[in-house]
Amino acid sequence: MSASHSAEKVLSSSAKDSAASKKRSRNMANSRKAQRALALAGQYAGLIAFAIFTCFPFVWALAVGLSTDPSNTWLFPRSFWPTEPGLMWFERVFTEMPFLKYLKNSTVMSFWTIVSVVVISVLAAYPLARLKFPGRNLIFVAIIATLMLPSEVNIIPNFITLKHLGLLDSYWGAIIPNFAGAFGIFLMKQAFEQIPQDLIDAARVDGATELQILWRVMVPVSAPSIAALSIFTLVNAWNDYLWPSIVITTRDKLPLAVGVFNDLTGPFAVSTSLVMAAIVLTVLPVLIFFAFTQRYFISGLDGAVK
Amino acid sequence: MASVTLKNIKKNYTKDVTVIKGVDLDIQDGEFVVFVGPSGCGKSTMLRMIAGLEDITDGELFIGDTLANDVHASKRGIAMVFQSYALYPHMTVAQNMGFALKLAGTPKAEIDERVNKAADILQITHLLERKPKALSGGQRQRVAIGRAIVREPKVFLFDEPLSNLDASLRLNMRVELSKLHQDLKTTMIYVTHDQVEAMTLADRIVVFNAGVIQQVGTPLEMYENPSNLFVAGFLGSPKMNLLEAQLVGVEQGAAVMRLPKGITVRSAVDASRGKVGDKVTLGIRPEHIQLADPQDANAIPARVDLIEHLGDIVLAYIEIPGINEIICLKLPGHMTGLKYGDSVRIAFPEKNVLLFDAEGLAFKRSA
Repeated sequence: MSASHSAEKVLSSSAKDSAASKKRSRNMANSRKAQRALALAGQYAGLIAFAIFTCFPFVWALAVGLSTDPSNTWLFPRSFWPTEPGLMWFERVFTEMPFLKYLKNSTVMSFWTIVSVVVISVLAAYPLARLKFPGRNLIFVAIIATLMLPSEVNIIPNFITLKHLGLLDSYWGAIIPNFAGAFGIFLMKQAFEQIPQDLIDAARVDGATELQILWRVMVPVSAPSIAALSIFTLVNAWNDYLWPSIVITTRDKLPLAVGVFNDLTGPFAVSTSLVMAAIVLTVLPVLIFFAFTQRYFISGLDGAVK
Repeated sequence: MASVTLKNIKKNYTKDVTVIKGVDLDIQDGEFVVFVGPSGCGKSTMLRMIAGLEDITDGELFIGDTLANDVHASKRGIAMVFQSYALYPHMTVAQNMGFALKLAGTPKAEIDERVNKAADILQITHLLERKPKALSGGQRQRVAIGRAIVREPKVFLFDEPLSNLDASLRLNMRVELSKLHQDLKTTMIYVTHDQVEAMTLADRIVVFNAGVIQQVGTPLEMYENPSNLFVAGFLGSPKMNLLEAQLVGVEQGAAVMRLPKGITVRSAVDASRGKVGDKVTLGIRPEHIQLADPQDANAIPARVDLIEHLGDIVLAYIEIPGINEIICLKLPGHMTGLKYGDSVRIAFPEKNVLLFDAEGLAFKRSA
């Protein structure tokens, strides 16, 4: 009797145990769900904060540029919404300064920068990635080491060099120092290293010279990386301010970034609203270009790091 | 078409790392030769040296009558098919196949004609305008072969071309490659680690191990009379059964060995260069072991460990008491009665037993 009694006790206690453990596991599942939700919310909050942080200067400039009444420009957060919206300031950008001339200068300079950077990076990266020669790693390390130097270090030697070449106050003077960049060489080297050796061997057996292998096989296969490099280069060339402002003195040759700053700011500045409208117009072409090519940009980076 | 002659070819990567240790080989015009061996044995390196993709450290390579050591890959008159297909992803199939001709400055009409002819042979005409990414593995492999055919080379080189294909496709392509060789009658050198491919495709097989040729011969010759333990163990699936034994009698045209537990086995080999008491290795192929009558006193008692039914054949893995190695038997497919734990008696027919000395070299068959 007592044995069966104790057995019942054991049974009931084990049933209780299992109920408790079920409850515990349910609690654990709930808390895990809550944790996951919290983590997700945190991630989104972080991303949204970052998006606001990066977008707010542009949104502010856009709102101020669109406000025909500039009285709220300095009121936070009221200035983020246009007051009496209109395109008056945008129209004035074209009359107050030679905006189209600057736009043309920027376009020409960016175009040649992109072409030259791509050609030089490809030509420099191929031997570093694919040919065997003594000192290869040393050269690559030396190129990468230039990334550590602040760009200001280059200003005086470059200025003196260009002076001797007679390139001061010219388009070429403003862009040539940017042609050979460690970043481009690094990016293309990574891209070329991803290409299977068999593909190069196949081209070699097919009778391609090294240059034919490079231009007919390596370059087309690395198109995404080249697209990414082009976009990076465009953004840098378009926004380049310091160097063109030092080299170019003739107003007609100035790129947008320098022209807008020279004409619309300083002691004789007409209006903050006008500057903001000009800034928006300056950024717009890059944004449009980026919108159309971002697919390549992202896949190019994929290829570059995989 | 051309012969290929290798004279004392060596390959060092650094002073101490030698991957090919002096290879001599004559490949006849129009012959299909298969290099086979385990991974890292140097067979692919050998092929890449013939292709001109690796430098030859020492020795002479003749393609036809021309010393080709320093001739550029594209000028050797070879075409190569790679394991990874190595198709140019940005070109269509037709462009891939015609690329070499285009680089050589061949007129467009001729390129088109030769591409179409090759596509016809390989039945890929409907794929000519596609890019490689829109093709299946088998189609890609055909294109890779087509690219080689278009060049009308003197020698075809294949570097494990079928190892990325699934089993059934591999079988199909194997048959087609064999047919292609019959049609084109061009010299072909084929590298594989798959001994079935080697056995089925080759006019002659070259077995490599550790940078040295182990044996050269026709597939059946190699299968029947392997010159050493490595070749014996490498060719054949399932592998040859190899058992350690001791030589106890050398007779005219036969040898008598003793396995552990006093089991004696006879082999029809000329063991006159061995002497009684030598350690030897006995080899017998799975299909040659016979199941003996249970009353046969001379047969060896054994126990079944595992049975595999493959439909056409039955593989029985058996254990002889006192012997560590598991022995494999290949039996006809209708022998389905055997099961795990059964006691059987087996016999090693004298004429099928091979014998290898302590260095692993085979004793010659006496018959």
